[in-house]
Amino acid sequence: MTTPIKPASSVPPPTGIARWCSFLVADRCFAVDAGSVAEVLRATTVNRVPLAAAAIAGLLNLRGRIVPVIDMRLRLGFPPAPAEQRRINLVVDIRNEWYSLLVDDLLDVTSYDTSQIEPPSGSRSAAALDAVVGLLPAADRLVHLLDPARILQSLIATRVRGLSVG
Amino acid sequence: MADNDEFIGEFLIEAAENLDQLDRDLVALEADPRNPDRLASIFRTVHTIKGTCGFFGFTKLSTISHHGEHLLGRLRDGQLVFNDSLASLLLELVDAIRTILAAIETTGGEGGTDFDSLCQRLDAAAAGAVGTAGAPEPQAEPEPTPPQERNPDDVAAAVAPTETPAETAKTANHLPPEGAAPPEPPAAAAPTPPTPSPAAGRPSPVLDPTIRVDVGLLDTIVDLVGELVLARNQLRTAAPEDPVLQGAINRVHAVTGELQEAAMKTRMAPIEQLFSKFPRIVRDLANTCQKQVELDLDGADTELDRTLIEKIRDPLTHLIRNAIDHGIESATVRQAAGKPAAGRLSLRAFHESGQVTIEVEDDGGGIAVEAVRDKAIARGLVSAEEAAAMSAERIFQFIFQPGFSTAQAVTDISGRGVGMDVVRTNIESIGGTVDINSQPGVGTVVRVRVPLTLAIIPALIVTSGGERLAIPQPYVQELVALRAAGETHTIEGLEGAPVLRLRDRLVPVVFMDRWLGLRDWTERPTSGTVVIVRVDHHEFGLVVDAVTTTDSNRNSSVETTSLWIIVVKPIGSLLAPLGLYSGATVMGDGGVVLILDLRGLAMAADIPARAQDTEQPATAGSPLTQAEADRYLVCETHGGRRIAVPLQQVERLETLRPEQISSAGDRQFAKRGSRLTRLIDPDQLLVSFERRSPPAAASLVGVILTADTGGDALSVARIIDVDRAESDLEPGGGAAGLLGTLLVGGAATEVLDVPAAARWAAHATAP
Repeated sequence: MTTPIKPASSVPPPTGIARWCSFLVADRCFAVDAGSVAEVLRATTVNRVPLAAAAIAGLLNLRGRIVPVIDMRLRLGFPPAPAEQRRINLVVDIRNEWYSLLVDDLLDVTSYDTSQIEPPSGSRSAAALDAVVGLLPAADRLVHLLDPARILQSLIATRVRGLSVG
Repeated sequence: MADNDEFIGEFLIEAAENLDQLDRDLVALEADPRNPDRLASIFRTVHTIKGTCGFFGFTKLSTISHHGEHLLGRLRDGQLVFNDSLASLLLELVDAIRTILAAIETTGGEGGTDFDSLCQRLDAAAAGAVGTAGAPEPQAEPEPTPPQERNPDDVAAAVAPTETPAETAKTANHLPPEGAAPPEPPAAAAPTPPTPSPAAGRPSPVLDPTIRVDVGLLDTIVDLVGELVLARNQLRTAAPEDPVLQGAINRVHAVTGELQEAAMKTRMAPIEQLFSKFPRIVRDLANTCQKQVELDLDGADTELDRTLIEKIRDPLTHLIRNAIDHGIESATVRQAAGKPAAGRLSLRAFHESGQVTIEVEDDGGGIAVEAVRDKAIARGLVSAEEAAAMSAERIFQFIFQPGFSTAQAVTDISGRGVGMDVVRTNIESIGGTVDINSQPGVGTVVRVRVPLTLAIIPALIVTSGGERLAIPQPYVQELVALRAAGETHTIEGLEGAPVLRLRDRLVPVVFMDRWLGLRDWTERPTSGTVVIVRVDHHEFGLVVDAVTTTDSNRNSSVETTSLWIIVVKPIGSLLAPLGLYSGATVMGDGGVVLILDLRGLAMAADIPARAQDTEQPATAGSPLTQAEADRYLVCETHGGRRIAVPLQQVERLETLRPEQISSAGDRQFAKRGSRLTRLIDPDQLLVSFERRSPPAAASLVGVILTADTGGDALSVARIIDVDRAESDLEPGGGAAGLLGTLLVGGAATEVLDVPAAARWAAHATAP
């Protein structure tokens, strides 16, 4: 069921070889530092968090630990996933707290030389893509590198206004 | 480098503990200047710091501890005799070391503070010059008399709280009365292994029965045990009726229960961690106030959740400041009153009915209940008649009102009238209570009660719109079944302002399903349950679908209760800022349930605060009584708010044309003939106290107020009606703006506090 990849560790080194865990969101390829990935599991039912940002899909109970689930489709500005689609929880460690990135599919873990990383192009700097910190031109596709901490930033303290008191 | 950081981290933790020990040793040494064990312990501690920081290359720290060590060496060898000015100098050294350590912790460097002068004074003192020109501190305290001539109780009280039994025994050899002294805090201080005791000696760590464990690891263990409990619950329900299997499951059940209890205990810490800071604080305060204070510590081994210890630190420190600054009198005043010259400050901690009680008691001047009562009446918190009928405890509660102070003089330490309300707010924020009792001439006792832990709480689990939510039980007042219209419990009030008529009161309610966006409807539901909660000054109802029940297996009979015992887990820095949920818990079926933060919810849902203290009668402090003011002018504000103004405070109504209105900054005035009348926008007053741009209405109605309420005009959108009140005024204005809510013209209406509005406008428009 669950596949521990590697214990959570620190940010990628500024130079040298870095390992990136890549995944698909709405047919596009994204990746996070593989060292931050704590666990991968199939999407299960989550309990929703009323009035939280739309991209917060809910809370997951991971062996007694409460893990907020972030729907990466909504976070990155894509349309919601079809209801029947089976998705993957990519649990990452962000500053000693665990968050689950709900992605469409997991691709692989690959090592890249950090010198290959290009800065994100201006056209991609839409608000939803603010977490993209670099681009990796891989053989068959373009990999968007994400900074997990930045994924959270726009979601903090965004309270959706509920309906009136009644 | 990373390894070095780790070592430095350990060094900092160890040094902080050592410094606390130094504080205690030095204060104790003042009372017993010749105790060789203590001197040796102090010397060792400073020596250790010096040695370790030299290893890391912290030269400033190394230099300063070297100078301190030199002085201490002379003291230890008997070449100098310990006295008050040396104590002050050495405490200054401790503070300097703390300053440098803080700099190392935050910046990694030793900081820019210069300690040359301190080094020079330490050297001068070591050369025997202290007490003359070299003394940095004013000689506030009288020179200590030799121990033999002192009142034995004095010594016992000052020394005992920080002493270990072993030391007490040793000092008792040459100070016989001490061992027999009535206060017995040594016993209390004894079972606190986490702090290495000087008598046990640092060089024998092998015998130390404690180890240092990362707090995160303890939390993980608690989490995993919680998971084990879930699995056990599933086993119990799913297992077939096999006697062998059932027997094994029962054992797993019992062991898991004990394991959970033990795991929770790892979160507990003795309040000693906090109490041990107080001898130094008391000493410094007493010096500053030029008073003599003896500190009694009792129950230092009382355990509570370590996160709570941190939270009661500031409130308790504030209470101690108050007691020394305002409570305990100066020596001359005390002697004139026939009391011992030294005041006695007692801190007692003990477990009581599942809570921890901490008492801060002084034998000082006390507070005259009459003074509090007069002040409360003068501040309009209560009428004279009502005050006369109130008990002393109720009167003393006024001390916790914001800005309430009976102190005659404002001092550096306390007495600015801020503080006691903050103490209460802090204590209440962790689910505790605080009350005061005092007798003039005898003293004051402040009693703080806090829960044992915040990790496990009793709660209601309610359902709303298909979701489960937890409501912490301490806030729940009662449960009310909702009925269809015409029956006893119905929801009334306008769209946006529903209220529940509960006996003689109107309680604002929030429909949880709609408010949380879980479900929408056009007709208000007429079934369900209203959970009436109270938090701070807010009382309100949460309309939910149902309150779930739990089967608790006690003594083989299953009883059904709506109370759940839940384990509180943090929801992380992403969701905590929402301010709506204080945490989450995992239920027996593995599902996650959010715990409502009722304080945040009251704010987010704009629940009006009840006027003054909720314990007061409904009309407290109000200039209104039903007989004289039951007719109200009901109007609608520019923001669409329905408000009422007592008719007797209205002079006349005028429609004001735009050309009559002139603005000066964000203030508005109306030209009426040759007069300028100040306009008050009730929305601006009620919605927030921040200045907002004035309404840009094409025309508006000016409600001109009577001269005795200021002669200003309220600026409103339209007049709805003039009508008689159909209910008693339900206080609920809170800050300056509102008197409360009442039924008028068939709807719940907020009643404006006109004099307060006029005062607010005068203040807001002041240049």
